[in-house]
Amino acid sequence: MVGSVKTIGSIAAILIIVGGLASIYAIEDSIERNRPSTLVEWNDEDLSVHGGRLRGFVFGTEGGLADWYWIRSLQYVGHKLVDAGDTKVDIDDLRPLNPRLLYPYLDTATDLDPQFMGAYTYGAVVLPAIDPELAIKLTRKGISNNPESWRLYQYLGYIYWKLERYEEASATYAAGSHVSGAPPFLNLMSAAMKTQGGSRDTAREIYGQMAADESDSQTQYYAKLRLQWIDSLEEQDGIRSALKIFQDRNGRCANSWNELIPFLKPIKLPHGLAFHLDGRNQVVDPSGVPYIIDSQRCDVHLNFADTKVPTR
Amino acid sequence: MRDLASFHPGILQEMESTFKGTSSVGRILTIARNTFREAVRDRILYNLVVFVLLITAAAILLGELTDGQEARTIVNLGLSAILIFGTFISIFVGVSLVSKEIERKTVYAILSKPVRRGEFIIGKYVGLCLTLAVNTAVMGIGVSLALLYVGGNSLALSIWSSVAMIFFELTITTAVAIVFSSFSTPALSALFTFLVFVIGHSTAALRELASGLNSTAARILFDGIYYVLPNLSNFSYITEAAHGHVPSAQLFVLSAVYAVIFDTVLITLAVLIFARRNFK
Repeated sequence: MVGSVKTIGSIAAILIIVGGLASIYAIEDSIERNRPSTLVEWNDEDLSVHGGRLRGFVFGTEGGLADWYWIRSLQYVGHKLVDAGDTKVDIDDLRPLNPRLLYPYLDTATDLDPQFMGAYTYGAVVLPAIDPELAIKLTRKGISNNPESWRLYQYLGYIYWKLERYEEASATYAAGSHVSGAPPFLNLMSAAMKTQGGSRDTAREIYGQMAADESDSQTQYYAKLRLQWIDSLEEQDGIRSALKIFQDRNGRCANSWNELIPFLKPIKLPHGLAFHLDGRNQVVDPSGVPYIIDSQRCDVHLNFADTKVPTR
Repeated sequence: MRDLASFHPGILQEMESTFKGTSSVGRILTIARNTFREAVRDRILYNLVVFVLLITAAAILLGELTDGQEARTIVNLGLSAILIFGTFISIFVGVSLVSKEIERKTVYAILSKPVRRGEFIIGKYVGLCLTLAVNTAVMGIGVSLALLYVGGNSLALSIWSSVAMIFFELTITTAVAIVFSSFSTPALSALFTFLVFVIGHSTAALRELASGLNSTAARILFDGIYYVLPNLSNFSYITEAAHGHVPSAQLFVLSAVYAVIFDTVLITLAVLIFARRNFK
């Protein structure tokens, strides 16, 4: 009798536990569905961006907290890009994605760890596409905290160059060249900014140096994309020259690659570049997508829908 | 957690025969050795398994999450974990070292042998410090191996001075725990020690904060706290270690001396209190 009561009690207890957990799952799901949605402009986590005030109060683990903010900043931009879905994202203008918390995240990470070069570098490369003045502010903060780092001068010079503020870019590169251990190219860049700030060769040099920075894969990725963009500009210029020669000889524009390819052969591209063909004998851009010949305008352009090369 | 006697039914006799004719240092070392054995048998070092899992997971996953910053993140995560795990051991084992012996009345048996109360406290303290040293060293090796795995070879060596400074800090936390446990209950001792840990890490920042206030009383209060309580931020070198920085020899030696002085003061205080304690 006692045994059966105990068994019934055990079964009842198990039923209560299982039933309780099941109902919690249902209630939780229901709460989540009934939670009022946050306004779009406030859907970011503002409360998490004031971590800099914790400096001195986290038992010496400021570096770990800075890492957390760093990871959040990467995920934050990543989520914004994922949320953009199929929308074509312009890597030089990320403002439509509203990544307004990127600067606070990076600012906080560098408040907690003033020597966090990865955060400064990421800010110098990505923030100009959101708010160039904030990019300058963060990079200047980096220089102030790490005056011995010539890389930060290089990045600040790059930001000024992007903004076409060539005098400031030149002065920054010159200042960087005085840092102990700075490579000679900073001096060269300082001079190039004054004489040919907006030239394609200057851009190639800047992105080439950034692509060589193996300490930051994001920067390398961005710089390589930009180098592809410059290569595609050179290739498009070459194709335009061939189109012009074809038009002069035939009195009409070339309609296909088969017609144009013989005219491309004598064209010499700068910096050892060469035209590349796909399996269908079409000239492809650096990302492997064929260029499009516009016979109406007798011009060539990237395949905007498919190419991975930045379109501007 | 079981007490010393429950592990070794014959340990008291063994200790008695060991204590006979030995010097004070010999008796302290015997108690320390048994405290270490007790900690090992209490599975305190099992926290190393959790730590190894944490570091292994970090080494594998952080490459994706941190965009090439995995070495510095492993240093930050690993050294912070060494500090936190070590602090928990210092607090929770430290406060039970003495109180457990009193609660289970094994202290009567030990103190009836030719052992002074001071030797008992110092032996207990040294034993726990030895446990923490082993724990910290094994964790440090784990962090170094993780760094070698992700290619942070230079950091694998340079973190060790920071690991040593964490150990210095843990010796102070342990001493604080023993002071509180010599006159208070384990729960309150743990709470007080944790508060000292929190305040000890914030004294410099609090003092800086108070200097900005227009209150003389606040300044005096925080200056008082700054000098009376151990300033544990003296041992914080984790963030710098993540950049491959090594503390200067002067800073390292000064930190070690600071720890030794505070340890001596605190253990003396604990011995004083314990010597006057009535076990009835």
